[in-house]
Amino acid sequence: MKNHVATAVFLACLWIFSGMAPAAAEPIKIGAFFDLTGPSSAIGTPTKLVAEMVVKKINDEGGINGRPLQLVVADDEGDPTKAALIAKKFTESDKVAAIIGPTRTDTGMAAKPIVEQMKVPDFMTVGGDVVIAGGKFGPFHWTFKSPQRTTIAVKKIYEYLKRKGLQKIAIITAADGFGKDGKAALENLAPEYGVSIISAESFQPTDSDMTTQLINIKSAAPDAVVCWTIGKAGAIVAKNVRQLDIQASLFQCHGLPDPNYIALAGKASEGNIMPSTKLMVASQLPDSDPQKKVILEFIHLYQDVFHYDRQFPINTHSGYAWDAIYMVANAMKKAGIQNEKLRDAIENTKGYVGVSGIYTLTPEDHNGLGTDSMVLVQIRDGQWKLLQ
Amino acid sequence: MPIFLKLFQFLISGLTTGSTYALIAIGFSIIHNATGIVNFAQGEFVMLGGMFMITFFTVLKIPMASAFCLTVISVAIVGLILEKGPLEQARSKEILNLVMITVAASIVIKGLTMILWGKNSMTIPAISGESPLLIWKAAIMPQSLWIFGVTLGAVAMLNVFFRCTRTGKAIRAVSANRRYAVLAGIPVNRMLAFSFCLSAALGAVAGILLTPMTTISYDAGVMLGLKGFSAAILGGYGSMTGAVIGGILLGVMESLGAGFISSEYKDVLAFMILLMVLFIKPSGLLGAGMLKRV
Repeated sequence: MKNHVATAVFLACLWIFSGMAPAAAEPIKIGAFFDLTGPSSAIGTPTKLVAEMVVKKINDEGGINGRPLQLVVADDEGDPTKAALIAKKFTESDKVAAIIGPTRTDTGMAAKPIVEQMKVPDFMTVGGDVVIAGGKFGPFHWTFKSPQRTTIAVKKIYEYLKRKGLQKIAIITAADGFGKDGKAALENLAPEYGVSIISAESFQPTDSDMTTQLINIKSAAPDAVVCWTIGKAGAIVAKNVRQLDIQASLFQCHGLPDPNYIALAGKASEGNIMPSTKLMVASQLPDSDPQKKVILEFIHLYQDVFHYDRQFPINTHSGYAWDAIYMVANAMKKAGIQNEKLRDAIENTKGYVGVSGIYTLTPEDHNGLGTDSMVLVQIRDGQWKLLQ
Repeated sequence: MPIFLKLFQFLISGLTTGSTYALIAIGFSIIHNATGIVNFAQGEFVMLGGMFMITFFTVLKIPMASAFCLTVISVAIVGLILEKGPLEQARSKEILNLVMITVAASIVIKGLTMILWGKNSMTIPAISGESPLLIWKAAIMPQSLWIFGVTLGAVAMLNVFFRCTRTGKAIRAVSANRRYAVLAGIPVNRMLAFSFCLSAALGAVAGILLTPMTTISYDAGVMLGLKGFSAAILGGYGSMTGAVIGGILLGVMESLGAGFISSEYKDVLAFMILLMVLFIKPSGLLGAGMLKRV
């Protein structure tokens, strides 16, 4: 008899709770995949941490019209095949409302056909432009990216070269998707700024010595050297440039402003110039800069509340996941999570003031940032200095 | 820049990378000489050398010389653990099984390093500063001279060790025939453990010397191991002098290929030469020709 009562009570509870569950705000799932291991893990891991930070912030502030966000995190290991599999899993079995990531241009290109086919908006944090280039690279109806376009970084460098009257440049680029993307942009934009590329070399991102390529560059005697790669290879190029006593100034791409770059390249980093998000020189920005408030809030949360800087000091990439998730969340607040409506709302983002720039998206421009979102920084005495 | 100066600079650059390949290749040869197996964890020993040095020198601020010794000892202990643990305990002493164990060990070491040291690339300052020396107008880093010197010194000492000392001869005997070595009263297990320590220590030295030039991260071991392995094959697997010649040849080929043909295809060129050598002389340049067809 007792047992029957217990069972009845249990069943009653089950019934009550199961009836109550939907009322207690079902979370909205967002798929998030980054390089948590593999060659870009030093970029992918902090991106994931920032994503968790933003989601917590949004949920603490009431979520999306009362419903909390829930991140479904996965590791693509920097492998395009794995990235494609994860994109499939997110869209087919997890049924996420939107996706953030991946980290690398190559993995982004692998995931793109799947999100396009499954019609799920994907805000990528990849460096290369090809994911939103259209044309022979396929449609980008559902694909967005938060980091600046390669062309913006190239324009930033070329504007400076033009101002300083430096015309002959040598380029040294990585032989991966990101490096090739940079090389194409450097070559295409050169005539517009009156720059001529007199020597073009490349290297594998895993190479440990680039002196051979730089000897060729040295004998071409350029006015400036532009290197396009992310990770430790950039620091090795800087060291080799110094080792061969190349006097031309070294420009790095917008992927390298990172305290770890100075740690790896040491004295060889002195004087290097690179385009960067304003995040690297937040305290040197004028108070009139509309982004300053957001950037300082981001730095406060990152360093003082979550203490991520103990393991991953803030670098130029840190804000991209913040901006991607915020733009998706803002669109959800406005238009709900039905995929077509959500996509249209993301595409209609106008004047969102983020950590990495002020975003205004259009159907043709799924990035939404202009050259005003970047600054040139120079390393002086081991510190990042805003270059006027 | 005149062409001969360019060539000279390419050669210096090739010799520097080549001698690091050589130093790693020697480690492969030592273990091969004792056990007949290929130790795929050799690249991880090199990576661990860099990592321990960073911990002792940069984090714990121990003076460079003592940090160097501590690092070599620590990595030698890792080598000892690998030999005394999984390799000695393995039920089957089939060469293929033992080789697979070293592959597994390399994955485990890589994973643990990622957890313990993190995912960022790291570096340490060079032994004698970072300003290049100019030899005949070509720039050379003092660190490169250290690498040349240590490689040549190591190969000379190892040649004497394996040919002239009792322990060295005993290790070679173990490799030639383990059963007869036991019958001759050689403490086989101790010899195997010793050879793993030696090879791990040498890997650590390579890692310490390499790190200031190339930086080190948890996943650097695979590529280093691959290049070292190719160098060892090119020179003749198991031969100390062959390892050095193979390493330097591979480095110089890469450098000349990148410099004069195309930087995009430098690895292709280097490995094509490796393949050609193996087609013509399968035992490598200085190989003993002990290969048997089965």
